[in-house]
Amino acid sequence: MTKVTIRNLTKIYGQAIKAVDSISLEIPSGEFVSLLGPSGCGKTTTLKMLAGFESVTSGSIAFDGDDVVAVPPEGRDIGMVFQNYALFPHMTVRGNLAFGLEMRKVPKAEMQRRIDATLDLVQLGPYADRYPRQLSGGQQQRVAIGRALVIEPRILLLDEPLANLDAKLREEMRVFIRDLQRRVGITTVYVTHDQAEAMTMSDRVVVMFGGKIAQQAPPSDIYDYPVSREVAGFVGQVNFIDGFVASVDGDLACIETPFGPAEVPAKTRGRGSAVTLALRPEAIDIVPDTAGHGIPATVVSSYFSGAILDYTLAMADGTKVDVKTIARTRFEPGAQVRLSVDAHRFWPIEAA
Amino acid sequence: MARQALNIYSVIIYIFLLLPIAVVVGASFNSGEFLTFPPQGFSLRWYVAFLNNEVFMRAIRTSLWIAAVAMVVSGIIGTMAAVYYVNYAARSKETIRIAMLSPLLLPEVLTAISLLFFVYAVGIGTTTMFGLLVGHVLITLPFVFMNVTSSLEGYDPDWSMAAQSLGASRWTRFRRITLPLIKPGVFSGCLFAFVISFDVFTISFMLKSIGSSTLPIQLFDYLKTNYTPEAAAVSTVSIVVTILVVIISEKVLGLRVHRF
Amino acid sequence: MQTASPGNRPYLLLLPAAILLIVFMAIPYLNILVTSFRNPGQGTPYADGYTLMNYARIFSSPLYQGQLFNTLWIGIVTTFATLVIGLPVAFQLGRADLRWRGLAYGIVLSPLLVGIVIRSYGWTILLGNNGVINRTLINLGLTEYPLPLMYNSLGIIIALVHVFLPFMILPIMSAVQSIDPAVVSAARSLGAGRATVIRRILLPLAMPGIQAGCILVFVLSLSAYVTPAMIGGLRVKTMAVTVVDALLDTFQWPLGAALALMLSAIGAVIVMIFARATRMKWKVG
Repeated sequence: MTKVTIRNLTKIYGQAIKAVDSISLEIPSGEFVSLLGPSGCGKTTTLKMLAGFESVTSGSIAFDGDDVVAVPPEGRDIGMVFQNYALFPHMTVRGNLAFGLEMRKVPKAEMQRRIDATLDLVQLGPYADRYPRQLSGGQQQRVAIGRALVIEPRILLLDEPLANLDAKLREEMRVFIRDLQRRVGITTVYVTHDQAEAMTMSDRVVVMFGGKIAQQAPPSDIYDYPVSREVAGFVGQVNFIDGFVASVDGDLACIETPFGPAEVPAKTRGRGSAVTLALRPEAIDIVPDTAGHGIPATVVSSYFSGAILDYTLAMADGTKVDVKTIARTRFEPGAQVRLSVDAHRFWPIEAA
Repeated sequence: MARQALNIYSVIIYIFLLLPIAVVVGASFNSGEFLTFPPQGFSLRWYVAFLNNEVFMRAIRTSLWIAAVAMVVSGIIGTMAAVYYVNYAARSKETIRIAMLSPLLLPEVLTAISLLFFVYAVGIGTTTMFGLLVGHVLITLPFVFMNVTSSLEGYDPDWSMAAQSLGASRWTRFRRITLPLIKPGVFSGCLFAFVISFDVFTISFMLKSIGSSTLPIQLFDYLKTNYTPEAAAVSTVSIVVTILVVIISEKVLGLRVHRF
Repeated sequence: MQTASPGNRPYLLLLPAAILLIVFMAIPYLNILVTSFRNPGQGTPYADGYTLMNYARIFSSPLYQGQLFNTLWIGIVTTFATLVIGLPVAFQLGRADLRWRGLAYGIVLSPLLVGIVIRSYGWTILLGNNGVINRTLINLGLTEYPLPLMYNSLGIIIALVHVFLPFMILPIMSAVQSIDPAVVSAARSLGAGRATVIRRILLPLAMPGIQAGCILVFVLSLSAYVTPAMIGGLRVKTMAVTVVDALLDTFQWPLGAALALMLSAIGAVIVMIFARATRMKWKVG
């Protein structure tokens, strides 16, 4: 298995357009890393530089310590899955899988064995002699993955591979790809703009904005401990709560907020300085006004979406708060309610 | 009501389009010495006359030979240019397109004149078939270019990238992926080139060397002084040959196209 | 994209075509211009030295001016006639639900597969004084003497319309085919009647095809040689016929070049005025 080391990787188009701005990233052997970000953040450019389809302006890419920047794509030994699959329309499933092996001059017998094994792996055995156009979207997707894996590449690169599938299939394929990657144990880089996809599949999520890495961490850390407003907002819905430092006690700071006091890791700020806290909508619970405790608020809107109720509420001072609860009793707009907050779920973002 | 009228109108136009061709075919079976109407009787005598007429037979051979050469040369040059145009041309794209289509956009008679002057100016003249062949290549080039270009437009560049990521070199990518996928376009481009070359008149007329009369030229010259239905027989054979070429190619082509 | 570029020198792909077009198109075309200013020769195509005489001869000759005017007239009428005749057919062919579409398409294409000499020959059989049309009319007693259908501009125009009709129908048809049927449905849903849909939606959207067809047919008509030569005979000569004869029969190359350029220049001006008037970008194919 292969370890990928990226150092100060930069891509400049034309004179000054920095598509990728000096990013450094270490991907341990066998890890599943997602590059997550909005379009134009440089994630696809980074992937193309890894594959060799895009030249590198400066910086280095190494597979197991070997610099590959000067190696053309056909020499990098990568498996790539394209957004629209790019299956060869004039070849059968078997032909598509055989192509990379033929390029490697794999002996006939072994080729058959490896193709059959891969067909089993991607559950396409019965479809070996079909042409791509005779397959469904999900099946084509699995051919594309099989074609990339059958050559036993050093790393697997996937470029938004689920973007063209419908919602249900997309969720199935997430699990399928994740399981497959675990079983094969191949180092994988996955590009997506879908935060849920990145969260469910990755060992580590790399959030990119404007050609730079904003944060890289395991999915739960990205979600719970975002480093900036941008990251917090990109990986899910979030409330930004303004407060100020009431006291600092060693590593912990006590912040005064409209929801009452909150304890968060102390940053180097003195008493009285303003702080913005992130609070996920599901960290707030709604109880009836009659409960007698909690912060009073008025329901502005409520939307039912299956398992979840999405609320927007107004606090006494007019501040709007988003809340997600599991769907039990539904409070109608205009209802007076009280909010209770899990104080541990506050997370300091930055000074207001 | 309106649709009915349009249908009737269209049928009249279709008859108008077919009429002169039908008349020529009909006249070829006239047993009379001259083109008379109504025909004097049914006969195949003019076909026999034509088959024994060495001048016409030689013209047909010349035409086929020139069309084959023009097709192969245009096919190769035009395909190469189309591949460049779609994959690599950036700012110069429109210029290349106009230039490649220019033999089609500019009047054929002007192209013929320019080539006639040119072959004399460089001392080749019309003693060889060089000028004639160049003219046929020029005229057929746009058809290859257009057909290959349009088949390349439907070609997903990711196919080449996928092949490259699987380890295929440039030549292998072209041979194993690009060429098979644009083959229908190359085929129909070449077919067009062949049929167009077979029909080119003005360029052949002005650049012909002694003994290099193509079938249209021979027919034209013959019709200046002769009124026998033999010309109609020659025409009919020419029509049948062209249609056969098209149908056979379509069948062969069709099989390939529908395989994937 | 150094690593992505397939070859170090992809322009080599374009090289053969570029050489061909520069050496055998661009340079020879410039050479026509040069030749048009050369002195006419005696027994040779041209003599040493340069002159404006060839152009002066055209401007002072009522014969050449008449032919030039007649050629342009034939071109304009032919273009207009093919447009009027071809437009409904093109619209019908462009419809996807047409039942005999394959056959109809084949018929429209068929003239292209039949040599231009053969098609013109067909018209001489039809239009001649003893031709099919006149014989039929006389036998039916509709006319006593044969109608003058050949050896005049009318005959040339009839035959040219036939010869070039596919070049009008095909571009318009492909423009019509590229119209999204939902656009028509949308217009209907907004209350547009059949005529309004044609006038406000279909015709404007088919305009690029109409424009391309008109330009194509006009240029082809101006430079047509075979059909005018065979139908017009010695009595009506278009410019292209005169030019070819001047070059091949009487070897007056400088004069022929000047005549050809004159015709092309006027033709180009008319095309440009037309393109400007129809307010579309000049785009072919």
